Amino acid sequence: MSIDKTEELVLNMGPQHPSMHGLFRMIVHLEGETVTEIEPKIGYLHRGIEKLAESRTYTQFIPYTDRLDYLASPHNNWAYVQTVEKLMGVEIPERAEYLRVIFGELARIASHQVMIASTALDIAGWTAWGYAFRDRERILDMYEMTAGSRLTVNCMRIGGMSAEPPAEFWPALESFLDDTPEMLEEYYGIFFGNEIAQGRLKNVGIMPKELAENLSITGPVLRASGVQYDVRKAYPYSIYDRFDFDVPVRYGCDSYDRTIIRMDEIKESVKIIRQAIRDIPEGPIMAKVPKVIKPPVGEVYHRVENPKGELGFYIVSDGSTKPARVRIRPGTFVNLQMLPIVAKGWKIQDVVAIFATLDAVLGEVDK
Amino acid sequence: MQTLNNLFLIIAHFIRSLFADPQSVWANLTMDVINFIIVVVIIVLAALILILLERKVAGWTSMRTGPNRLGPRGWFQTIADALKLMGKEDVTPAGADKIIFKIAPMIIFSLPMMTLAVIPYGNHMAPIDLDLGIFYFLAVSAISTLAFLMAGWGSNNKYSLLGGMRAVAQMISYEIPLLFSLLGVIMITQSFNLGDIVKAQHTIPFIVLQPLAFVIYIIAGIAEVNRAPFDLVEADQEVVAGPFTEYTGLRWGLFFLGEYGNMTAVSALAATVFLGGWQGPFLPGWVWFWMKVGVIIFFMMWVRWTFPRIRVDHLMHLAWKVLLPLSILNIFLTGLGIFIYRLVMGG
Amino acid sequence: MENKELLKQRVEELAGRVNGEVEEILGTLILKVQAPYVTETLTAVKSFDDVPCDFLHDLAGLDLVDHLEVVYQLTSLNGPQHLRVKAIVDRENPVVDSVTRIWQGADYLEREAYDMFGIQFKGHPNLKRIYMWDDFEGYPLRKDYETEPIEIRNLVRQRIDGE
Repeated sequence: MSIDKTEELVLNMGPQHPSMHGLFRMIVHLEGETVTEIEPKIGYLHRGIEKLAESRTYTQFIPYTDRLDYLASPHNNWAYVQTVEKLMGVEIPERAEYLRVIFGELARIASHQVMIASTALDIAGWTAWGYAFRDRERILDMYEMTAGSRLTVNCMRIGGMSAEPPAEFWPALESFLDDTPEMLEEYYGIFFGNEIAQGRLKNVGIMPKELAENLSITGPVLRASGVQYDVRKAYPYSIYDRFDFDVPVRYGCDSYDRTIIRMDEIKESVKIIRQAIRDIPEGPIMAKVPKVIKPPVGEVYHRVENPKGELGFYIVSDGSTKPARVRIRPGTFVNLQMLPIVAKGWKIQDVVAIFATLDAVLGEVDK
Repeated sequence: MQTLNNLFLIIAHFIRSLFADPQSVWANLTMDVINFIIVVVIIVLAALILILLERKVAGWTSMRTGPNRLGPRGWFQTIADALKLMGKEDVTPAGADKIIFKIAPMIIFSLPMMTLAVIPYGNHMAPIDLDLGIFYFLAVSAISTLAFLMAGWGSNNKYSLLGGMRAVAQMISYEIPLLFSLLGVIMITQSFNLGDIVKAQHTIPFIVLQPLAFVIYIIAGIAEVNRAPFDLVEADQEVVAGPFTEYTGLRWGLFFLGEYGNMTAVSALAATVFLGGWQGPFLPGWVWFWMKVGVIIFFMMWVRWTFPRIRVDHLMHLAWKVLLPLSILNIFLTGLGIFIYRLVMGG
Repeated sequence: MENKELLKQRVEELAGRVNGEVEEILGTLILKVQAPYVTETLTAVKSFDDVPCDFLHDLAGLDLVDHLEVVYQLTSLNGPQHLRVKAIVDRENPVVDSVTRIWQGADYLEREAYDMFGIQFKGHPNLKRIYMWDDFEGYPLRKDYETEPIEIRNLVRQRIDGE
């Protein structure tokens, strides 16, 4: 008698599992080591931020946005306050715009460093993890100088910035920018250049361009699939039209390119920050906005290029001090859809690697 | 110098001389018990030192300090950890196969004791001088596969089972290149006795004659003891802790002891077979031996903290398509070398 | 802006066919249609000549008390065109066609809208709650959803403190 079919092993990974970032859970169907089906389960970190928004004033909601993608909190602030400003038609001072760009790009670098570190960790590159986190610490220090907090920075207000960076901020920023090429070289040397690491990432988890477009994938994950699209270029919000930078694109569509593209983006961010430091004017950092934020009746949709994908805010105002509806379009939530499709047929190890290259932050996915 | 070199032999001689007949059964039994205790002490000490060393090496590679709170430079950290482990509750999962679950750590701990017993720590200093030393060593260390599978199966946990299955696949695959890499040395010395092999390296260590075999042995050896980059068995990121997932307290500690014991045993065999064992100038033989073992262990730690984990199919690929053919090639080359040598020397 | 004029022209043409209304708020074209026309509208929008809005950027529910809306934010990766399509859904019987056949990426977004607003997406392959647990009652983002009053929450807290 021959055995035609062996039993499938159904493995419940998460929400408590060493490689599930945050509280992600997936039910993995295994045939030996090979994955036949994945069912992602999310919602373990759902705090109902959209519901909370409806009972907060526009200003009170800003700190909540920090808790979305907590690895790049200035970016969430930025997306939200810009949406409200667009709704109200507020012009903000030049200096504030430049400061926002600086903080936003710093957040992008920090977020990508965490991504590099956690990808390394997820394929057991313990040492590389420490290197990237060491460098991110310097960005957190810069946040701390300006806003007083390190993770949930909450540095932007409707109409400008909360605080002017102190004098010691600028030399710290300069020396950080000067060190970035060396950092990237180090990450490459210690991790991505490694034969085993490349074997783990290259040609694994292929997501073709068509699939990525169809799945509404955004951000670096999309660009690693060969689409040169970046909101900063396509719809230059804030003052991005004044800077000279490239949109990195890679055509490998695999885990390796999804990781290495973040290194390219760090380089571009450094370029942008350098230009911002060069051009930043003196002046106020807050526009004249009314004490009580009361946007006119209307609705607005605004999206920014979050480090992990496009973050969109859709705000519907009924003319009162509280928004009628705040819709948050989290980039990684949509990106996460690719996991069950792309990871099918790979080994369980590769699923962990593919999930890591998605760079999902569950604060954003679960809202 | 000579006294220091033969220090342990002199002690042994003294103990035997306490008996009326130094070669009587009772004298032998006493010596065996003492040898046994020494081996256990070696394992426990090795684990204590190596765990600290591992953390220090990890700190060194990632530019941290490592443990630095308990005692001078954190030297007492492992002792504190061991005490903590002893104080922990011994949990047996409700659905576990209790007997298998409880036996597995004991087996894994007993294996390095058995293998370390045949290693010559110095001239005439093998606790048990077996004529089939290498053969015995490899046969015994192969049992650890079984222990991993028992732990994986007995825990009644899917992660453990996956880890156990990985252990079987990996360790059986790497056993073969490991064996074959040692064959070259055996062909040259024409002996299975580890003492004879060390003596044969009087003029030149076998790493010079058998460099390929040494490389194969180190790679396969790292895979045999399940250390990174071949630590698929206990891969945190995928199978949590593999077969150890459900173990707590002292049972888990036994796994740890066994793991470091195995690592010591594999390094000791490498030092014996390829690096000339206790042979060396100036210093006493046993100091040389442990220095060589230390170098290999440090190398293994260095590798562990440098490389990420290899993929499961690459792992098999490496064993069957790279290491196995290379080791067979090595045997062939060795045979050819011996043939030419005899032809030239007129043997 | 030429692109925008072109898009406006196309949208107005389409609006005639699907009984839609076109308006413009803060520079964004909005096309409002009734729920049954959603598939037809979005299929047409996806394949507009010259200005295809072929990238589903967002899909969200919206509660306007007298009716519900599903808001589609459409853009393109190849041009600056962007369009907001709104499907008007009946509040008592919120059913709308799923667009997962047009964009695979609508999967999670529709599940979220179902979870939060109770909008039934016809033809969705796996319409289950995504954030809340399966036996959760009610749809949290609807305006008539009653959150737990603060008094009750305090009661619970006191009980825990008391124990």
